[in-house]
Amino acid sequence: MHKRGLLFYVKIYLKIIKQDIKSKMTYRADFIISNFGMIIQQAAGFITFWLIFQNFPSVAGWKYEEMLFFYGFSLIALTPMQCFFDNNWFLQQKVYSGDFIKYCLRPINIFFYFISEIFDLKGLGLLTAGIAILAYSWVQLEIAFSFLILLILIVNLFAASLFLIGIMNIAAAVCFWTVTGEIAMVFAQQFQGYARYPIAIFNRVLRFLFTFIIPIAFVSYYPSLVFLRPDNIPLLTWLSPLIGVLFFMLSYFIWMKGAKNYNGTGS
Amino acid sequence: MIKRYLALTRIGIMRVIQWRGSLLITFAGNIVYLLIIYNIWRAIYSSSPAETVNGMTFTDTMVYLVLAMTIFNVLNIFIVWIMGEDIRSGQMVLDLIKPMSFRSYTFFSTLGGNIVQFFVVFVPTFIIVNIITGGAIAIGLNIFFFLISLFLAMIIFFFIEFAVGTLCFYTESVWGINIVKETMVLLLSGAMIPIAFFPAGFRNVVNYLPFQAIYNTPLRILTEEKMPLNNILQMLFVQLIWVAVFYIAGGLFWNISIKRITVNGG
Amino acid sequence: MKKIITLKNVSKEYKTLNRREGLRGSFLDLFSRNYKIINAVNDISFEIKPGEKVGLLGPNGAGKSTAIKMMSGVLKPTGGEIFVNGVIPYENRTKNAENIGVVFGQRTQLWWALPLIESFKLLKDIYMIKNADYDNMMELYKSIIDLGPLLNKPVRQMSLGQRTLSDILASFLHNPKVVFLDEPTIGLDVSVKSKIRELILELNKNKNTTIILTTHDISDIDALCERAIIIDKGNKLYDNSLENLKKFFGSYRTLKVLFKKNEEWVDYLVNEDEQSVMQKLNEIAAQKKIVDIKIEEISTEDVIKKIYDGGIND
Repeated sequence: MHKRGLLFYVKIYLKIIKQDIKSKMTYRADFIISNFGMIIQQAAGFITFWLIFQNFPSVAGWKYEEMLFFYGFSLIALTPMQCFFDNNWFLQQKVYSGDFIKYCLRPINIFFYFISEIFDLKGLGLLTAGIAILAYSWVQLEIAFSFLILLILIVNLFAASLFLIGIMNIAAAVCFWTVTGEIAMVFAQQFQGYARYPIAIFNRVLRFLFTFIIPIAFVSYYPSLVFLRPDNIPLLTWLSPLIGVLFFMLSYFIWMKGAKNYNGTGS
Repeated sequence: MIKRYLALTRIGIMRVIQWRGSLLITFAGNIVYLLIIYNIWRAIYSSSPAETVNGMTFTDTMVYLVLAMTIFNVLNIFIVWIMGEDIRSGQMVLDLIKPMSFRSYTFFSTLGGNIVQFFVVFVPTFIIVNIITGGAIAIGLNIFFFLISLFLAMIIFFFIEFAVGTLCFYTESVWGINIVKETMVLLLSGAMIPIAFFPAGFRNVVNYLPFQAIYNTPLRILTEEKMPLNNILQMLFVQLIWVAVFYIAGGLFWNISIKRITVNGG
Repeated sequence: MKKIITLKNVSKEYKTLNRREGLRGSFLDLFSRNYKIINAVNDISFEIKPGEKVGLLGPNGAGKSTAIKMMSGVLKPTGGEIFVNGVIPYENRTKNAENIGVVFGQRTQLWWALPLIESFKLLKDIYMIKNADYDNMMELYKSIIDLGPLLNKPVRQMSLGQRTLSDILASFLHNPKVVFLDEPTIGLDVSVKSKIRELILELNKNKNTTIILTTHDISDIDALCERAIIIDKGNKLYDNSLENLKKFFGSYRTLKVLFKKNEEWVDYLVNEDEQSVMQKLNEIAAQKKIVDIKIEEISTEDVIKKIYDGGIND
């Protein structure tokens, strides 16, 4: 039997992505329209904040620019999920129709094979909007810039992405057990939207829910505190990269367990 | 004739309620959503020196936004996606030879989903909101007018969806056009932020667009207890005008578009 | 002789929901449900030798696909044991996957958006096929069929026949010891069917690949297999050479007669050892006006009915 290590998977992945981008380039209109849609969607989110702060001076002690920081941070953290894990949105349809079986027939990891199939270019629109909003608030808040803080930013963004990917993996896996599991994806996506609010404004029940059950508090709030409240950084902020890796692994195991549960018949 | 359409709706209801797992998630997700909105807007209002902002108290705003999002979930049945997929796969050709207009066929078969969502999402939310706020929403004739207005809103929403779905004949970018539509509808209808909070100039523009007829109109009829009958009828009339406009314009657009495929052979 | 596939008392049960009728029934199902157990495969055993061409024959829902899915490691049987190449497929899915190829008719496993050649190259990497072996296989393919119009065509633009052909080529690419073909000719017209049968026969001859084929169409088995296993409602009814089966059924023909335009065809099963088709036709024509006729081989359903009635030696 052949051994298939990390290097093997990286090599295969790059090849698939290359082919996928090549074939997508023949649909340039789609690329432009979806990225335009992505930017419009984020512009609307931006306008929402702007409208709130036109009417209210601050939100529970958080300034306009600080709210934008959370928002921009969460958008950048969303990008890897959008670019690399978008096929989760099609899982339900493939399980329902029975087409999912094709992922079970190759001598490679099922999750990898499934996820590698799509590289979604509209994540680039998300990244653009995220960087613009984060940079704007960064400058407005006059946060000092150094190599170290950039490194922390990157590590924290990486951890935040893992949480988001994990949430969507679990939501997608629901369809292995109930056929109309797509609704779980829709809700998970709505919750993602609330990752842009500082968790501190919620009551205890929701804070618990968003920290330990649907951990969107780690998507933006905890990792951003390093930059916004450097004098008072909670322990969970420092632990978030570790918890992120663990959470991602948990989501992977749930997904794989679901795939094993798949009976190959469709419906 | 109408019997045939209602049969479609009945099948639609059966199709939705056979999956109880997803109904449960819908129900639970909506409750959590309600809690989130409550918390966010309580925090926002707590930092304001005044009780009333733009004529709306915290309770007004919360009730408005929660119900708006709930109505969004009742109305939203992914017609653009269904049409996009039908067009892409060529299934649309089969739908076109059915002995009824495709628009009516789609409307009545998705209506079943709307009805189930109304009972699973809207009714419980309405009850919970009314309990939390100690009866902020009066129960009387307003409910009657609200239901009429909601039905009209549903038709307008359907027509917008259908028109955007028709666009799929021209582009494969279903995701892109759908997200633009969804964003416009949610923002300009006042489902994200009440229209009362918009700057005056912006508010004037929004009032001339069809989107406010989807959420703003039924919600104001429901929540503004002392609204004179004249105003209510006037608002319903505006909704009716939008229904008529979309019925005609959307129908024309559809007819032009399917000519394209019958000429080009898909 | 060594066995390449062994099934020992294999069973597979499914739990399915018993749905009630009507809108009222849907509401009741919302609150209380009752499930029933279905035996998709019921205590089946057989052994297959390397290089054999075996047909699993049965009507839709007989349990053929379930059997294939168990042998390819997707499904775990609820009872019994399976060995493929000495591997237990459902316990060692990836190891098993290296040694088998699987094709599902009407359901492509190729990358939808990519030209066929790119799918092949990806498969070459995934199965870690050596360059020389890959080139040899491509040479073989080119000697059997005209690959030219296929290689640079994205799979999404292919006709069903081209897609099935491509899927079969892809399933042989890593030179597996066994290839499972699940209804490979379903939905195809006669000329494409025969092209696909030729391809399968050539590949089997050249590489001595074991072929397991499921079908509800007896002519597939006739053209491809030397051994037939008949399955109905999860049970094995017959397992012997095709020759033996043909001795029994070879003289049967299905005569389809149309009495009036736009009506349904009426079937008559004729045993030519007793009465020729012409005689039967004259008999019918004497009583009623005939618009059109067709003569076909005996249908799978009729074979199964005959087996239940008795009269075949397994």
